[in-house]
Amino acid sequence: MNHRLYARAVAAALALSLSVAGIASAQMSHGGGHGAAMSIGQPGDASAVGRTIEITMHDNYYEPETLSVSEGETVRFLVKNAGAIVHEFNIATAEMHKAHEAEMQMLVDHGVLMPDRIDRAAAEKMKTSMGHGMHAAGNSLLLEPGQSGELIWRFADAKDLEFACNVPGHYQAGMMGDFRKAN
Amino acid sequence: MTATSFARACALAAAFTVSSVTAASAGDYSITVDRVALETGDFAKTAIGYNGSSTPTILRFKEGEEVTIAVTNNLAEDTSIHWHGLILPYRQDGVPGISFDGIKPGETFTYRFPIVQSGTYWFHSHTGFQEPDGAYGAIVIEPQGREPFRFDRDYVVQLTDAHPHSGERIMRNLKLMPDYYNRQQRTFLDFLNDSRDQGLSAALADRSAWGEMRMMPTDVEDLQGFTPLINGQDPAQNWTGLFEPGERVRLRFINSSAMTYFDIRIPGLQMTVVQADGNNVQPVTVDELRIAVAETYDVIVRPTEDRAYTVFAESMGRTAFARGTLAPRSGMEAEVPDLREPPLLTMADMGMAHGEHGSMDHGSSGPRAPQPTHTMADGTMMQGMNHGTMDHGAMGHGAMPMAGTDPFYAPGSGLTPQAADGGKFLSYADLKAQKPLYEHRDATREIELRLTGNMERYIWSINDVKYSDAEPIRLQYGERVRFKFVNETMMTHPMHLHGMWSILDVGQGKWNPVKHVVSVAPGTTLYMETEVDAPGEWAFHCHLSYHMDSGMFRKVIVEGGPAGKSADLPAVPQQTTGG
Amino acid sequence: MRRHVLATAALIPTLFWTAPAPAEPLIYGLQVEQAERRFDDGSDLYAWDFDALVGTDELKLIWRSEAEYLTEGSRFEKLENQLRLQTPISTFFDAVVGVRLDTPRGEDRAYGVIGVKGLAPQWFELDADLYVGETSFVRIEAEYEGLITNRITLTPSLELDTPLGDDADLGVGAFAPILEVGARLSYDLLDRAVAPYIGVHYERRFGETADLTRAEGEQRDNLFFVVGTKMLF
Repeated sequence: MNHRLYARAVAAALALSLSVAGIASAQMSHGGGHGAAMSIGQPGDASAVGRTIEITMHDNYYEPETLSVSEGETVRFLVKNAGAIVHEFNIATAEMHKAHEAEMQMLVDHGVLMPDRIDRAAAEKMKTSMGHGMHAAGNSLLLEPGQSGELIWRFADAKDLEFACNVPGHYQAGMMGDFRKAN
Repeated sequence: MTATSFARACALAAAFTVSSVTAASAGDYSITVDRVALETGDFAKTAIGYNGSSTPTILRFKEGEEVTIAVTNNLAEDTSIHWHGLILPYRQDGVPGISFDGIKPGETFTYRFPIVQSGTYWFHSHTGFQEPDGAYGAIVIEPQGREPFRFDRDYVVQLTDAHPHSGERIMRNLKLMPDYYNRQQRTFLDFLNDSRDQGLSAALADRSAWGEMRMMPTDVEDLQGFTPLINGQDPAQNWTGLFEPGERVRLRFINSSAMTYFDIRIPGLQMTVVQADGNNVQPVTVDELRIAVAETYDVIVRPTEDRAYTVFAESMGRTAFARGTLAPRSGMEAEVPDLREPPLLTMADMGMAHGEHGSMDHGSSGPRAPQPTHTMADGTMMQGMNHGTMDHGAMGHGAMPMAGTDPFYAPGSGLTPQAADGGKFLSYADLKAQKPLYEHRDATREIELRLTGNMERYIWSINDVKYSDAEPIRLQYGERVRFKFVNETMMTHPMHLHGMWSILDVGQGKWNPVKHVVSVAPGTTLYMETEVDAPGEWAFHCHLSYHMDSGMFRKVIVEGGPAGKSADLPAVPQQTTGG
Repeated sequence: MRRHVLATAALIPTLFWTAPAPAEPLIYGLQVEQAERRFDDGSDLYAWDFDALVGTDELKLIWRSEAEYLTEGSRFEKLENQLRLQTPISTFFDAVVGVRLDTPRGEDRAYGVIGVKGLAPQWFELDADLYVGETSFVRIEAEYEGLITNRITLTPSLELDTPLGDDADLGVGAFAPILEVGARLSYDLLDRAVAPYIGVHYERRFGETADLTRAEGEQRDNLFFVVGTKMLF
């Protein structure tokens, strides 16, 4: 297993997300008024990747902080955690990020998500005791310090889409970035 | 050597010189200490201020800069400035009688020291009662690199408890009559109400228990009758910080009060705490936080609506509030909440069962988080209970503190904070260093400091000895000392060590937050560790002005260390009597 | 007597000693417990009872003065001045030594005083003094500040002055005490500096002391209505 593959495997394993993250890759309908369905997109095929974007996660911000993507574009994100604590790269709307943070808080409360590592034993324990499974969701990467990961995403309507770290407090401290719709 | 190569060498040398100068840029600052008029809605008096104003001065430094600060004393008495939280040579620390001789009337004293840190700090007089009389200001240090958080606006929110009486008079009144300023004492009418609610015998038993101890459950604030100010402005003057909806606003809360803890909230906004006592912490989002005297907290808020928000800071005893506003346009106001009911201390806060806790190991490998020294959750004393069951350190990281509990308060304490809207209240247990300053290691020794006092005589002390009778605490350069604070009083004490960091033990090992003030709640034991890396003589005290000046104070002497660093350490005076 | 004064003088410099950084300031103040007019049938009088103090946590010098001035005949029925040194002996109690000079109309007397002063459980303020003189006395005073509200206080007080010997000049008999009880309802008008009050004050003599009083043609007990003010500066 080469380094890249290993990292990818770890990243997948660590893409710990509860139910909402599962919804994330599907269609999501806004409750409000106009009723227009909005899609944040979905995991993409490697064969369809048109462009690769490198993201560096620092404590506690992204570099770069703004990205331009087009509707229908499939992008490979190479994400590196250059910080000293765990960070996430998660593609979703602000509302979804907010809901997701509550779940991340549970991981903190159960001792799964530590400042600089993920306690897999605690994760197993949590799974057993709570009956909740954690599964990889295609829209996020959760990386320990020094780790890198890869995420391929096919964008739909990029409007209101953000990439963010939902380790509790990080989003509010400003660890998020905007997707701008490229023309 | 050819002319060209010589010129090149010169240019190179010049470039070196220039770059080394820019690396350590120099900044000149000057401050005057003046008599100023202070007017609040409640009273007007002559106070002390910096640069001729009762609005606190803000000093803005840059990390890496070498600052020169000329302080001119325009008072008729001595003064001094202590740079609270700054790491500097001890001769620059500004404590008369320890770091230097003070600044005489008419004299200009020039401080000079490198800025080796960033964040939010403050400065104040360390002479007499000048700080409660208004001699305080803010320090904002811009970091060399980027901050680990984002903000579009940046405001200092400096709180104080301005009082109509001078500090000297307050001290004297407290000595003459310790409850002089307590206007929340339980009365006969309260007794009648309690008899109705709890029954006569329960009410009598309760009065009798407190009367036996000659203590008061309402003794939360020694000093009432103050007007809280934000940046020198009273609640009616309404300090306002502007924002555009959607912007991130950084609020640098500094509690420069003489005596008052504040519970701060901004109804409608959550606050993400990103810095405590100048050091970045891993962000934690809360609805409300308590700021001890002399602490600082930096928070990020992000108001998205086009409306005003009230910054509401209630005193811990609920006798007064500070109020400011965040608004898209000046002149806007939001609803100002009512003060909540004043807390009552319980027997849990009383320090009845201090001492050792059975077989628990209090050594450096012992429990790391604070433990209550006793518990009386139902308000009754419990003898011989198993303190081992209350070891919050054992809860470890997986612990989920329940709503309404805080391991840094005695179980059943009347002071345990509760968020106004049932949301999240910041606990010390939530603070984790963003980036540890020191490599984590076991402490090399433990020093126990019992926080003691005699409320009736208004004498405050450490290990039952007040400052004037005490020997200095001697530390060796290179040690990592674990301080064990055992609060045997009914008051909350914000303990402040000068010159070196206080690593607060919240049970997070290397992520323990690095502070300059640690607040020790009544009836609790709290640990902090200090890497002894600053030779010289330093002050170590409770930051409540009238506790500090009545004896809860020690001199710390750091012995040894690199020759250059300790060169100006004065000779140790001969000790003749034991303390 | 002279030796007492010298001892007192020698102690005074230590009162003004203060520690450097932080300076513990000198404690000083004036506590007026009673400054009042007592109304009786016809024979009104003025009375005061105050402590002026200066010192430190460890040692205080107190000037205590108690007086009753009779309007009729313009004379001091009682005029006591004491110089007392007070030092802590326990958490809530101080020991007291000092001198007392009585200079009312009539017999002047001097006493040495030794006693304790402090706060007893349940918030009773206690003074217990032994006055050693030509005729010695034991005096016990107790006071309780009952808060009706945080500004209105009802202060019951009791003073029992017991002579340890017969003294015809003072009109007292051995172990026949003089009792004073009072109840004063005060209102904190200006902070705690000025608190005017109204109340009642009752005096009664017992045993031989009462007999001697009656022999002088006076009543053995008096009930006064009082108006005055407490002060603290």
